[in-house]
Amino acid sequence: MDTKHNKTRITSIKHIERRDFLTALGAAHVAAWMANEPILATTSQPSLDEISKPTADACILLWMAGGMAAPDTFDPKRYLPYENGLEVAKMLSTFPSIDTNVDGIRICEGLENIAKVMDRGTLIRSAIQPDLGSILHSRHQYHWHTGYVPPQTVAAPHLGAWMAKVLGPRNPVIPPFINIGQRLEGVGESEELKAFTTAGFFGSEFGPLNLPFPDQAAASVRPPKGMDSNRFADRNKLFKQLVDRNPHREYMSDYQHQSLLRSMDNAYRLLSSTEREAFDITLEPKASREIYDTGRFGQGVLLARRLVEAGARFVEVTTEYVPFLHWDTHKSGHETVARLHQEIDRPIAQLILDLEARGLLDRTLVIIASEFSRDALMEGKPGSNANDQATFKVDTISDPAHYGLHRHFTHGSSVLMFGGGVKRGFLYGQTADERPLMAVKNPVTVTDLHATIMSAMGISPKTEFTIEGRPFYVTEDGLGKPVTEIFA
Amino acid sequence: MIRVSLSSHPSYYYLRIFFFSSICFGTLSSISAADKVDFSHEIVPILRARCAECHAGDNKKGGFSINDRLSALTGGESGRVIELGNAGKSYLMELVKSDDPDVQMPPQGKRLTTKEIETVSRWIDEGAAWEAGFTFDKQPYEPSLELTTPTLPPATDGREHPIDRLIDHYLAERKIPRPQGISDRVFLRRSSLDLVGLLPNPDRVRTFVESQKLGKRTEWLEELLTDDVGYADHWMSFWNDLLRNDYSGTGFITGGRKQISTWLYRSLIDNKPFDRMVHELVSPTDDESRGFIDGIKWRGEVSAGQTIEIQFSQSVAQSFLGINMKCASCHDSFIDRWKLKDAYGLAAIYASKPLAIHRCDKATGEVAVATWLYPELGNVDPQATATERLRQLADLVTSPRNGRFSRTIVNRLWHRMMGRGLVNPVDAMQTEPWHEALLDHLASHFVEISYDLRKMLLYIATSEAYQSTTESQSSEPQDTDYHYAGPRARRLTAEQFLDAVWTVSGKAPLAYDAPIVRGKVKPAAIAAATPAGKWIWAKVEETENGNDNKNTILFLKNFTLNELPKTAGIVITANREYSLFINHQLIGKDADFKTFEMFPIHKQLQQGENTIAVIAQGPTNAPANGLLYVDSIMHLEDEREMRIASDESWQFSTTPPAVDGRKLNATHPENLDSVIIPSTNANQRKTIENQTPMLLARAGIRDDRMIRASLVKNSFLMRSLGRPNRDQIVSMRPNDLTTLEAMDLSNGQPISDALVEAGKQYAERFAEAPTELVSSLYEQILTREATPEEMQISTDVLGTKPRAEAVEDLCWALFMSPEFQYIR
Repeated sequence: MDTKHNKTRITSIKHIERRDFLTALGAAHVAAWMANEPILATTSQPSLDEISKPTADACILLWMAGGMAAPDTFDPKRYLPYENGLEVAKMLSTFPSIDTNVDGIRICEGLENIAKVMDRGTLIRSAIQPDLGSILHSRHQYHWHTGYVPPQTVAAPHLGAWMAKVLGPRNPVIPPFINIGQRLEGVGESEELKAFTTAGFFGSEFGPLNLPFPDQAAASVRPPKGMDSNRFADRNKLFKQLVDRNPHREYMSDYQHQSLLRSMDNAYRLLSSTEREAFDITLEPKASREIYDTGRFGQGVLLARRLVEAGARFVEVTTEYVPFLHWDTHKSGHETVARLHQEIDRPIAQLILDLEARGLLDRTLVIIASEFSRDALMEGKPGSNANDQATFKVDTISDPAHYGLHRHFTHGSSVLMFGGGVKRGFLYGQTADERPLMAVKNPVTVTDLHATIMSAMGISPKTEFTIEGRPFYVTEDGLGKPVTEIFA
Repeated sequence: MIRVSLSSHPSYYYLRIFFFSSICFGTLSSISAADKVDFSHEIVPILRARCAECHAGDNKKGGFSINDRLSALTGGESGRVIELGNAGKSYLMELVKSDDPDVQMPPQGKRLTTKEIETVSRWIDEGAAWEAGFTFDKQPYEPSLELTTPTLPPATDGREHPIDRLIDHYLAERKIPRPQGISDRVFLRRSSLDLVGLLPNPDRVRTFVESQKLGKRTEWLEELLTDDVGYADHWMSFWNDLLRNDYSGTGFITGGRKQISTWLYRSLIDNKPFDRMVHELVSPTDDESRGFIDGIKWRGEVSAGQTIEIQFSQSVAQSFLGINMKCASCHDSFIDRWKLKDAYGLAAIYASKPLAIHRCDKATGEVAVATWLYPELGNVDPQATATERLRQLADLVTSPRNGRFSRTIVNRLWHRMMGRGLVNPVDAMQTEPWHEALLDHLASHFVEISYDLRKMLLYIATSEAYQSTTESQSSEPQDTDYHYAGPRARRLTAEQFLDAVWTVSGKAPLAYDAPIVRGKVKPAAIAAATPAGKWIWAKVEETENGNDNKNTILFLKNFTLNELPKTAGIVITANREYSLFINHQLIGKDADFKTFEMFPIHKQLQQGENTIAVIAQGPTNAPANGLLYVDSIMHLEDEREMRIASDESWQFSTTPPAVDGRKLNATHPENLDSVIIPSTNANQRKTIENQTPMLLARAGIRDDRMIRASLVKNSFLMRSLGRPNRDQIVSMRPNDLTTLEAMDLSNGQPISDALVEAGKQYAERFAEAPTELVSSLYEQILTREATPEEMQISTDVLGTKPRAEAVEDLCWALFMSPEFQYIR
């Protein structure tokens, strides 16, 4: 069993000692700690009960990139089927709702498999985001993934990087932060995506291992193309021999010299380890693979499961953000979402069942989330001055391409969580039944959502690192409050 | 205007009290209320106003000091004043509440308000939390703004260089052994990498080592520094980091950010004095250098601490003065003396409208007054126009009397050359340098030589200190308690690493992204370059069988050259992924329609008949309607110029010849169509006018040098090796290799591809000479001979007839070695 969480507790207590230590250092050192290297510190002394016991050791974030419309997925509202002349103002959901195996929770048609595992999860229907005065997906995604709204004066770390930095790897040969399914080259807004797909000021050691194509993931942990494992081992042997016999004996014990060799060693260990088989989804039994394989996302979910089994700490799988594609529905929303239902339904449900069957669900927090929701009529949130970016600005629908939720809505979205200590079959928060479909009960901000996720992982929302002389907290300004109600 | 998002939250659920967030990093999203007393924002102001006068810094009335938590908890002559967790039992509370003039604290002046007393009381009850490292003690180091001219200690052992006189004296005083001098080879490697970023050429190394000439090292350094292109290519990375400039990155898609690359590269080529450079950055006279002060403009709302005015304040302060204005742009800084109004005063110099001061994202009601940080040197006129204010600021920043300015830059250069700053970290110039006199000496010298950057580098490099062995460190370097014991090893930058791999493998890119010309070119020459091409459009007709195999188009142009041109280059883009062939040889490929590329072609041209062929590949199952632009410029003797550009005379075919590696097979496909329509689209025209003059000017310079990593867009590999995302200013890159980086180096495609190439080439060149092969690799990669032992190990692996694969693995082992990856 993983004992990392115990260690975390101890570390947290150490923070306090360190703080006292730093205080005692006094004036001469104040300027000196304006280092570029982040230093762990805590401002307000967390009391021992605040350092909560972690309820999860691993985290899988299933990212619905582009703005998943809650009314067309996990928060169905009044359904009106397509018809010529349908008034946009009346449109709330474009899918009828279905029962789940939990009384009182209905979700959209097309998500039948997820409906069957709803009794294992908690559904939050009241997540809210700021509209930021303008909708730019990558900017909201930056906010969601780092907890900070860009621009920032220092590069903010991704939540996976926080887990990597504070908790470290679960299995030393599996990189603690793995990012599946997002291409970062050749897609729109790629620079903006790169800006948060990073460990920021923590440095690249805690950054993501990016695996944009799940079916090619195995190659990224294999020896280079065209090199068999014997040659790979021989090459490493040659390297070590030459390093050992290097004539510059005076630098043999040098810190940097040693540190470089350690990193080379770690890399070699992973690239030649048995765990790397976890990266190869072709090794999955055919029957199981077929259940997952609804496309790149489904393959990614399968890969995530294999990696968590092998000891990954944080894995994100995205449906991939490409402007105007997938969840970023600017036209033909209904049709697109019907396809996306198919893409996500089976793999997500199977992931939960598989984790459960393997006894991993209790300690693995699975999150399904998106940067914001969508609405047929409203851009941003009520009173927003965000630019309306809808492609069609029509009052009545005359074309199936108009049928869908094509505007970005930031004040009521759904987050589904499984495992990792969250309640089973639980509903939290509520949105209005009529437009605007705002969160009307228990709104959860990005900051508080982060606090919730981090607390589950045993990271206090007040955890902070000092960078350039300033504290930088895991939740914005250390103020995130976990939604304790959702924990069992 | 900034809209604070809190106000826009519907109030029906937002019933929380607004509360200063503890230390705010742009607070745009909604925040939750905090329950606990916030030391920095609630306690510090009270202690500072009511207690500090008698109990902080050197003042310890009654033996009581609040300098730090330990002192405050320890108490004074009358014992403990704070009982942790129990305000009721704390003497301090008695003192502040008392009405007795003999007892009460503070003894004079305003008493604490009820609310303040309540806050302090809660703070003690909650355990008297303290900001780590925070102190009320005297503010750290603040030297006089004007430079001093330190007296130089006498030279010892004939070491006359002022840097050595100062350092030798420093070492002698501390009884630290003087680091030994380095060999010629180490010197050549180090100086070459430091000054032009490249490994020294092995032939030159051999000649140099054999030479007995006096002063050969200085001569070598001077030669490196007169290599305009090598110097500019290398230092471009340093300046891009410092001025957060890049060729791609956040902000460019929304048009909220502008490059300064053209101006920057030219400034380096021309060795523009540093004060001039900064003047042009702070007070731009044209658009070329505006990008620095204009920052990154985000679409939508940003926090008050990240408006472009505040970005200006932060960037100017950090880049040129080593001041961290990021804290003070939100609230008075805790780590140095800068205040919110200083940050806003500086910002207001740039602002075109009245600038409302915000503390932690909340308007204070005050409007910022344009003022700069060191009024003792003079100030800007707040009534003047923004342009005039910027000019005044530029004068003040670059004033020779502004020692902070010259100290900051010479410290940065010292850091690059010596592996550690005299002040470290280099952006915290309020830190005491380990050698104050040396810093001031260098800064004064820099002013004396009129801010000449190359001369300054030469000055450092000619010292014995630079030319001495690097310190070996037994543990992770710390910023505190530093004593100089020689230069420190510095890790190869991503750019140096790749340049070295490309030097050995010949796998450098074929074109570069930076909008620059690698040579001395007058801006007027660029302005005068007029594009000659037209967009040409090859429309593929639908056939009855659909468009099988019609996703690839060949464009073709034949022409005659009566003489060989001195230089020739081709400017090109297409709406499909294209490959360009000159006389059947592959010249380059690209897939980005929006950006034009320039490829030099003089090597492939011949006297007589020539062919330009472009193969444009569309997505499968789609007709490849091709849009192409080509403009080639050839410079002949006597300033004559010849142009071959895309126009109606070009031909195309939908059955292109096969490509065999880098060669195009057949030359004249039979079914050439000639229905090409010149495009008249105004936007397309504009793109040409915006982008191509620079590239045409570039084509006019004969450039046979390898393309350098500093000139291409950031890549995964470079990012992994530490080239920053230049959204923020990054003046110090990570010095250690991480595991993920090691993975990229162990199995990443770009490195593997380059090494395969290197393996092939060396195996071919030294087909039956493994010893020579090993020698050659060691000399090229490590700038030294292999030891007999290394030779044995290596030749054992290579065998008598080295295979390409074995050579490739040896190359990898050498590139991965600490000896290669660190400059020692």
